[in-house]
Amino acid sequence: MALRRLIITLAVIVPLVALLAYGFFRDPRYIPSPLVGRPAPTFSVKLFNGENVNLADLRGKVVFINFWASWCPPCIAEAKELEATWQRLKDQGVVFLGIEIQDTEVNGRAFVDKFGVTYPNGADANGRIAIDYGVWGIPESFFIDPDGRIVYKHVGGIGAEILAAKAAEARERIMTTKEGKGDYQSIR
Amino acid sequence: MKSAQLKRIFFGVLFLLLTPHLPTHSLPAAAPPDIEEQTRAIAAELRCPVCQNLSVADSPSELAQEMRALVREQLEQGKSPEEIRKFFVSKYGDWVLLAPPAKGFNLLLWLLPAIGALIGLLLVIVVTRRWVKRSSDGRLTTAMEAKAPPAVPRAPEAADVPMDVDSQRDFYRRERERIEAEGKEIEFDFQSGKLSEADYTAMRRRLDSEAAVTGQKLASMPSSPAPAQKRAPEKKPAASGERRPLKTWQLAAGAVFLLLLGLSLGVVLMQATRPRASEQDTITGDFLTGTPGSGGGDALLAQGRAAFEKRDYGQAIEMFKKVLAADPNNPEAHAYMGLMLAQAGHTDGALSAFDRALAADPNFPVALWGKGMLLAQNGGDPREARRLLEKVSTMMPNGPEKSEVEKLIAELGKPAAAGNVAAPAKKPAPPPVAQAAGPAIQGVIDVDTKSKTSVDPQAVLFIIAKSTSGAGPPLAVKRIAAPKFPLNYTIGSEDVMMPGSVFSGKLFISARLDKDGNIATKEPGNLAGEYKKNPVDVGAKKIDFLLEPLK
Repeated sequence: MALRRLIITLAVIVPLVALLAYGFFRDPRYIPSPLVGRPAPTFSVKLFNGENVNLADLRGKVVFINFWASWCPPCIAEAKELEATWQRLKDQGVVFLGIEIQDTEVNGRAFVDKFGVTYPNGADANGRIAIDYGVWGIPESFFIDPDGRIVYKHVGGIGAEILAAKAAEARERIMTTKEGKGDYQSIR
Repeated sequence: MKSAQLKRIFFGVLFLLLTPHLPTHSLPAAAPPDIEEQTRAIAAELRCPVCQNLSVADSPSELAQEMRALVREQLEQGKSPEEIRKFFVSKYGDWVLLAPPAKGFNLLLWLLPAIGALIGLLLVIVVTRRWVKRSSDGRLTTAMEAKAPPAVPRAPEAADVPMDVDSQRDFYRRERERIEAEGKEIEFDFQSGKLSEADYTAMRRRLDSEAAVTGQKLASMPSSPAPAQKRAPEKKPAASGERRPLKTWQLAAGAVFLLLLGLSLGVVLMQATRPRASEQDTITGDFLTGTPGSGGGDALLAQGRAAFEKRDYGQAIEMFKKVLAADPNNPEAHAYMGLMLAQAGHTDGALSAFDRALAADPNFPVALWGKGMLLAQNGGDPREARRLLEKVSTMMPNGPEKSEVEKLIAELGKPAAAGNVAAPAKKPAPPPVAQAAGPAIQGVIDVDTKSKTSVDPQAVLFIIAKSTSGAGPPLAVKRIAAPKFPLNYTIGSEDVMMPGSVFSGKLFISARLDKDGNIATKEPGNLAGEYKKNPVDVGAKKIDFLLEPLK
């Protein structure tokens, strides 16, 4: 009788506690992206230098898209590293494209000047590009292979090593479904 | 009969309770009349990606605003609500739907409440039935009921007695048990004085006669010992099991479980939440998310440091205060507060801030350095200053800063080694700052001709060098008692307010002639002036200007 009661009690409590534990140990802000492996949404953005870039024109190249804002500390932290990596990779058929979101163009230009960023950067004025890429935490980076397919997504600071490795993989059209995660900040 | 009635009432109440919770929102919405309302309806079904449990319709965030604008735009383009939902799902996944589709893991979300309600319902039914059964079994439960004995001995009525022999035997056995129990009950009531003797004897007599009748009936029946024996032990434990009190180990286990539950809840809650550092911040702690929250402590500290380096002290204080509100023992915030207090001349406040920083982290370099410098400067406790600076110098990378600290340690060592005789003598002398003859600014200060005659001979002249034109503590101040005009002056690194700050960059030079020597108060007759082409570079000469009456 006592044993039966104990078994029944445990049968109710253990799965319940397990379910709660599972929920508690997940990052409630993390949104898994359905975009990896799909064709990258195309867009056209006006760069800070006045030129227009259309993603469709970059077919055949590996494209690294980085969403950032000047008010985001992890973006500030990785700015110089991204530029250094760009200097290393720019002659290897990799295109860097920085998209400033939820910020003013003035702040964006100041940011680019301050950290000596030379790769193309432009502002996403009404947030449409960000929504198209399901952006929710910045910096957020996407790798697009020469066929125009998203092959990797990284939320938060990426670091030079992962960047170079994923750029090389993207050139070989190797896809990584598991998203990378670094220090990030939720967008506003 | 009673049970059926109860059931009806029970289900009636249950129905009333449940009806308001019936899913009214799942009713198909009538076609909304305009785009505005349609936008709201769709936005209300979407989950805001940067909020906690807010729909896109309700969220004030920038992203939600953009998403609402996009919904409206797509509606205007003639897309159906379903297409728009699919669009957002293709970007953010099922996550974005406030009511995710019932499949896979999400199925739990839909089934668990129903299962829970079902289990609860079954539990209630079982318990009520048991309860109803017990009270309709005919067992007298209270003495009050027992007090009303029927006039004639109550014998089992013919209608109540079952037909076949086995059931009859069972029936009379139950009767016998009932009579025994009732006998015990009235015995107890009589012993405890609840029942008068007259009542007791009357009831005793009735029970005895009933027992006699039942005994007769049982004796007259053909006995079947085997099944009877089999059934009897089966019944006994079941009947007694219901009323058996909890065993000690069960109580103890329950207590331990509750205690552990409480403790773990307490720990998890403490870890899982934190005070909001800013309005945008969440209360969800790093423990759950694995990342510092938006606008969290680290970001604030970085902002505070940046403001401090830009000498925007108001902003820096604001930031560090926020950090301390979230984490009252943050050594870095305390240390920087101490630096700013020292710079503003609040030695005591600065010392206590450094002490708080060191209490939180005894090896925090900024606090060690700040406290050591402050003590060395004030000549208060050269030995302690030396100890602190020695400690911090071991942590510093080699470079000019380190050699500066080491020089200061050597200087501090001298009076300490010579004993306490030298120390008091040194006190009134200017503190042994590392940069004795560094870069300086020179010039002549004069008083305008009209005021020349009214200059108070006892007045004190303050020459002030600031890094910014606005408010904020000065970088360096030179105090000259009873000045004689025109006055040749030099202000340089020996005049800096805060030990260790560097007299460099572009500086704003001004001066004030104060009657009572207290720079904080303003009296009529005080004179002030500033260099016309501020700011000036350190090292500049001929920084001449005039003092005029304050307006």
